[in-house]
Amino acid sequence: MTESQVGRPVSRVDGVAKVTGAARYAADAEVRGVTHAVLVMSTVARGRVTAVDTAGASAAPGVLGVFTHQNLARLALPSPAVAFLKRFLPVQDDLIRHAGQPVAIVVADTLERAQQASGLVGVSYRAEPPRVVLADDMGEAYIPPQTNDGANDYVRGDVAAGLAAAHAVAETTYTTPMQHHNALEPSVTVAAWDGDRLTVHESTQGISNTQNALMQAFGLARENVRVLSPYLGGGFGAKGPVWPHTVLTAAVARQVGRPVKLVLTRAQAYTSNGHRAETHQVLRVGAARDGRLTAIQHTVTQQVSRTEDALLNSSEPTRILYACPNVRSTQQAVRLDLPMGSFVRSPETATSHALESTLDELSYTLGLDPVELRVRNWSATNQESGERHGSSYLRECYERGAERFGWSRRDPRPGSMRDRDGLIGWGMATAAHTAGGRPGSSATVTIGVDGTARIRSGTQDLGTGTYTVMRQLGAEVLGLRLRGVRFDLGDSAFPAAFASAASATVPSVGAGVVRAATAARDRVIALAVADPDSPLHGAAPDQVSVGDGDLFLTERPSRRVGYRQVMRRHGRLIEVTSEAVFAPMGYSVGATFVEVHVDPVLGRVQVRRMVGVFDCGRVLNHRTARSQAIGGAIWAIGFTLSEHTLVDPNLGRIVTPNLSGYLVPVNADVPDIDVSFIDKPDPSSPALGARGFGETPMTGVTAAIGNAVYHATGHRIRDLPITQDKIIAALS
Amino acid sequence: MSEEDPTRRTVIKVGAAVAAVATAAPALPDVAEAKAAVTDTARISLKVNGVTHRQELEARVTLLDALRERIGLTGTKKGCDRGECGACTVLVDGRRIKSCLTLAVMQQGREITTVEGLARGDALHPVQAAFIRNDGFQCGFCTPGQLMSAVACVHEGHTGSDDEIREWMSGNLCRCGCYPNIVASVRQAAKEMS
Ligand code: FES
Ligand code: FES
Repeated sequence: MTESQVGRPVSRVDGVAKVTGAARYAADAEVRGVTHAVLVMSTVARGRVTAVDTAGASAAPGVLGVFTHQNLARLALPSPAVAFLKRFLPVQDDLIRHAGQPVAIVVADTLERAQQASGLVGVSYRAEPPRVVLADDMGEAYIPPQTNDGANDYVRGDVAAGLAAAHAVAETTYTTPMQHHNALEPSVTVAAWDGDRLTVHESTQGISNTQNALMQAFGLARENVRVLSPYLGGGFGAKGPVWPHTVLTAAVARQVGRPVKLVLTRAQAYTSNGHRAETHQVLRVGAARDGRLTAIQHTVTQQVSRTEDALLNSSEPTRILYACPNVRSTQQAVRLDLPMGSFVRSPETATSHALESTLDELSYTLGLDPVELRVRNWSATNQESGERHGSSYLRECYERGAERFGWSRRDPRPGSMRDRDGLIGWGMATAAHTAGGRPGSSATVTIGVDGTARIRSGTQDLGTGTYTVMRQLGAEVLGLRLRGVRFDLGDSAFPAAFASAASATVPSVGAGVVRAATAARDRVIALAVADPDSPLHGAAPDQVSVGDGDLFLTERPSRRVGYRQVMRRHGRLIEVTSEAVFAPMGYSVGATFVEVHVDPVLGRVQVRRMVGVFDCGRVLNHRTARSQAIGGAIWAIGFTLSEHTLVDPNLGRIVTPNLSGYLVPVNADVPDIDVSFIDKPDPSSPALGARGFGETPMTGVTAAIGNAVYHATGHRIRDLPITQDKIIAALS
Repeated sequence: MSEEDPTRRTVIKVGAAVAAVATAAPALPDVAEAKAAVTDTARISLKVNGVTHRQELEARVTLLDALRERIGLTGTKKGCDRGECGACTVLVDGRRIKSCLTLAVMQQGREITTVEGLARGDALHPVQAAFIRNDGFQCGFCTPGQLMSAVACVHEGHTGSDDEIREWMSGNLCRCGCYPNIVASVRQAAKEMS
């Protein structure tokens, strides 16, 4: 029996590098003669720069250059097609579009000297009062043109008729605040020029996009731009798009004639990488007496900037998930003097939160168990596209999750469960997120004369386990052991891959690896059956299987030959590069259950217990998949209970640009988490039955926490985050 | 070694200049004076993972930046540079500290241990091995700090229960969200180290 390389809970192959400090992240790159850049950020949110005094900074010790819009070279604005979403490059003109926009860049021989000199740059502004409060400008809402995440005004059926026919209707308003990624590694660019050749060490989720954007900004040929990103300290969308600081760093490096390193400060990251935009959501959901949905009307209004209007809190859950004939989803924008929003881990979470919370409200109106309400509206079909999901075991997720959690022992009456020192609440919700539906990726498989394989693809590993699962996929298809396969990534010299985003790595890069490995394996099989000295000589190629480093007859496994022998006789390496094939869109789902404890005096909410059961098709690696699930659940705790970026309403400046005023969960906030998988292959998957999964597990948990708080207290906190002051106000 | 040490006066002088810059920025009253002062450097020696590194440094250089940018030990990470995230945690004489919150000149004569100093050759420290076995990291960026904190947490005796581990490991943020696995790693390492 050959040993399967996928499915096993293999330890991360980059584990030793990460626990010994040997893994070099972008800021750790060894670049001879590197100098340091520090950004000077605008302190006003709207207006113009009237003067910049650079004399003091220029004369400070160690300073190599001080750059403003008056002396920085003119750069071409890269296009949105290469994920340069921002529609302007700062330090190119005097216009201020938001607070925390770069207005000057100081380069010095040491970091300390660059920091000191940056404080000597004097910037004068003609400031105008900014508008930064969503609630104040709701009247300005408009529907922007459609982007690739679906229609901004989507209709199916007749919502008015569906609501009129409903036995019960839940009408709700939910709001979610501005939130920030806060990847632990702030964004980094290290740029070095050699004549017209540019090498960049970049913390990016998409080296191809970075390469393309730099080519466009500087008018360079592809072979003249190399982008490296072997390790990434988390991304969560912050490093998905290409941002101006990358281009600016390369520009100043060229002007000072030295390699330059820029590491954003934590505060600068708050205005340089986008954020989860604040939303205001109105829902009307109608159901028949038996719980079947008759209509969903969901209007999402979110903040956009003055210069862009991408809506990244998209309403897929409303359009896709539940069987409902009458749906209208409207996505509106309000322009404010703030940075643009962007993708933040599991972008569908904001809308899913409102929908799943409203369903909980509906379940109380109907007197129906919230699990049962969801089971009755389950569908095997993507309700928006009308196509069947490749597979969907969501009902099994509900059933298994309820059992593991002990849901049947729940008394549904709010406030009915308590312990010695507080109120207990149990809540649940559906997890669902699109996965893939993005461009494909290429990979090259090289089989050496020693019978080992090296696989390369220009993808990234932002902590999700790309290094590990791609090696597993390659080994499985080739029939080699894990140690006989190496997988390299993070170099734009490798075949191009799609960004590590949109839960697309498995269906895009994984599929590219599977295709290249399949073609390479077939070439080795062809060699083995053609060689008169091979034990497999004369066999039909389709009668040959692979495994454990050997090729063998499927029907007579004792007739076998090792990869090593075949390749040694061949005497030359075999190399195959796969074409990029569009990655199909999958839908990974699950059921999440949460127990909270609420302190009625302090208003403190603690998550005590969590159960998540997920269907992401076949699980490639139970260890890394479980880690993605607990990571998502922990993000959900932050999303629901603490994370909230505060903006000064008059100045338009973020007042919590740090990790002490902006609270991400800490170890003590997180209970043990029970995670399990259905683990059945999706027949439509191009990656051995697996679907993308990374974004699914944050969804569901947020609403499950809110629903549990209601169950504990009898109060709905519809304005996130559910902080202590709101609980105390509700209970008193 | 005493020749390598800065005189006490040099340190104080440089320190005072740094303080002046910090409080006066961004509108510095006397740029010329501050400029002259901060070019002063100190010759110091730092003992890191048993190896003595002699450096000529401005007094304002943090231990973290000295390790990363001068000595070339980049295992220790900078997540915030202001004591909030724990990515920069190192051991100084066995005690865990945030290396972004101390100046290199203040740590002379102490034993500094970074993540690069945990393994003995190819043999991983029990805490390192436990983090791999329990998948105690994803991106790995918080990991050097988590590991150093974990070593101290075990030595401090704060591993009596999972709740105690959670509490005493809460100075190290992990944005990937590995906390349950970090707790399992520390629990296992504590057992092996006892
Ligand atoms: S870098 Fe020192 S605590 Fe964050
Ligand atoms: S492993 Fe990524 S921040 Fe902890």
